[in-house]
Amino acid sequence: MLAYIIRKTLQIVPMLLVLSLLVYIGLDLMPGDAVSYLIGPDAMASIDPAKLDEIRARLGLNDPFIVRYWHWLLGVVQGDFGYSLTSGVPVSEILWRRLPATVELSIAALVISTVLGSVLGIISALRQGSPLDSGLTVAGMIGLSIPEFFFGLMLIVVFSLGLGWFPVGGRTSLGSGSLWTQLHQLALPAFALGIAMTAGVMRYARGAMLDAASRPFMTTARAKGAPMWRVNIVHGFRVALTPMVVLIGFRLPTLISGSVVIEQIFQWPGIGSEFLAAVRGHDYPLIMIIALLSTGAMLAASLIIDLVTAVIDPRVRLEK
Amino acid sequence: MPQSTRRATKIMDKVARAVPRPAEPDFGITKNSHRAMRKLLRQPVTLVGVGIFVIVTLACLFAFLIAPYDPTAIDMTSVLKPPSLEHLLGTDRTGRDVLSRILFGGQVSIAIGLGSAVGAAILGTTLGLLAGYRGGWLDSIVLRASELFMAFPQIIVVLLLVSIVGQSALNLVIIFVATGWGSIYRMARSVTLSIREEEFVMAQRALGIRPLVICFKEILPNAIGPIAVNITLSTAMFILQESSLSFLGLGVPMETPTWGNILNAANDLRVLRDAWWLWLPVGAVIAAFVLSINLIGDGLRDSTDPNLQG
Repeated sequence: MLAYIIRKTLQIVPMLLVLSLLVYIGLDLMPGDAVSYLIGPDAMASIDPAKLDEIRARLGLNDPFIVRYWHWLLGVVQGDFGYSLTSGVPVSEILWRRLPATVELSIAALVISTVLGSVLGIISALRQGSPLDSGLTVAGMIGLSIPEFFFGLMLIVVFSLGLGWFPVGGRTSLGSGSLWTQLHQLALPAFALGIAMTAGVMRYARGAMLDAASRPFMTTARAKGAPMWRVNIVHGFRVALTPMVVLIGFRLPTLISGSVVIEQIFQWPGIGSEFLAAVRGHDYPLIMIIALLSTGAMLAASLIIDLVTAVIDPRVRLEK
Repeated sequence: MPQSTRRATKIMDKVARAVPRPAEPDFGITKNSHRAMRKLLRQPVTLVGVGIFVIVTLACLFAFLIAPYDPTAIDMTSVLKPPSLEHLLGTDRTGRDVLSRILFGGQVSIAIGLGSAVGAAILGTTLGLLAGYRGGWLDSIVLRASELFMAFPQIIVVLLLVSIVGQSALNLVIIFVATGWGSIYRMARSVTLSIREEEFVMAQRALGIRPLVICFKEILPNAIGPIAVNITLSTAMFILQESSLSFLGLGVPMETPTWGNILNAANDLRVLRDAWWLWLPVGAVIAAFVLSINLIGDGLRDSTDPNLQG
């Protein structure tokens, strides 16, 4: 098992390196360098070029590409991501401020879609062919086809503007409001973000349960006299679980992509809305770092999924 | 040509003919298409999908005939008018007819979705066939590249590229193709790897037939079914992505009507509350159209997947 963990972790390192190299090339290619941000264009014209060159040399800007990349990479590893072009604030500071909101929203959506999706999927599978099953299947197809932001807008119109049950958007930061206020604000965006995933998980759970139901061990379990709920949950669902864990991993990109749009609609102060603002303002350092970190997060997540799968299903880790 | 070589060629020819070819898989587009087609059309849900798809596509295609107004004609005398006989779906903030905008916008949205899906399929299939067939360093480089692209959360990399190359419909298609070829490449590659060592392919190789010809004439037909399914499903995905991006104001430039650009008006709570005709109909059209493509894709998978065929 330890060998498996180490091997899987080592596989990610080269990918992260290539990614960081791409990101650095992107940063390097953009017009202007640190000096042109330090000195205004008027002052720039009056300064002696030799002096400029000296400043560049002192800042290490004249070093060969690979040396500069190495220094930048060392900084990134230590959490120094450079500065935002539009606000001048360190990128890491912006990210720390924005991260809790995004994590909160993503976890909520993940929990909603996993729980709701598996329960509906299991019900659908146990009542295979019934009107309930067909109804859920159709609902699932619609859930997969409806644009997330459009679903979010409809939630706002019905539950915020119409019924007035939930706030239109926004978020009070942790600790400054009661737990109730927070959940209240979280409900609509989390549900909007979770809808497509719920539909996906449901389809998968249904298929996996039906698949498990036809295996011989289910007959055995029934034959030895276990109650039906025990057969379905303990024996059937356990086997159906492996593909579902994998599915949650595959859904993470959807989650990250979705949160960009959903955060915008609900005025949720997370990384996604910050990313959009950065794209609009051409704030390249911020754009690149967010892209790098979100990809890193996804690689890390896929690593965790691999490990969890290996724990659930020993055949995976024993494969060559 | 020396006698011996000619004899060898003849023998190889015979061998090639004698080696039993695998039965032509029935993928609905090749010779025995009737069975798969019938199977496809027998599913009522798929028929509903085909129905919605045909109606929406035709309506958008013939927008210049049925649309009551010019989609860009500004009429400041009738601004934000609710639906009436004059304007079936009302007018927007500058008095443009919403129905006409939905019809003409559909042309652009569908073209972007379909164009990107076909483009990604062509790129992915070609890479999958050639790199998979050749193997070696080429294959592993392309494989790593596809992993890299699939590791990026898609909308992040799309927005990153949009911020670099700028907003236009064509740029969007290029970006979608560049970021979306991964899944179909993997599919084409795995088909190629599974067939590469089959006897009929070996025989062709022994006859000196060029790899390019073997890839496209012998291996490709085995992958047509999954490719068709992939194209439909990614068309749906790209249409959804275009609408999200344009809704955010970062997709197609605002002058061009697309489904997402029409929805952009809904970024305003007052519009959401008071002017439902600006966002509800177009959102419903997107959802219905994407649903119809997903239904067709599912039906296509059920009717072309050899594993499901009795």
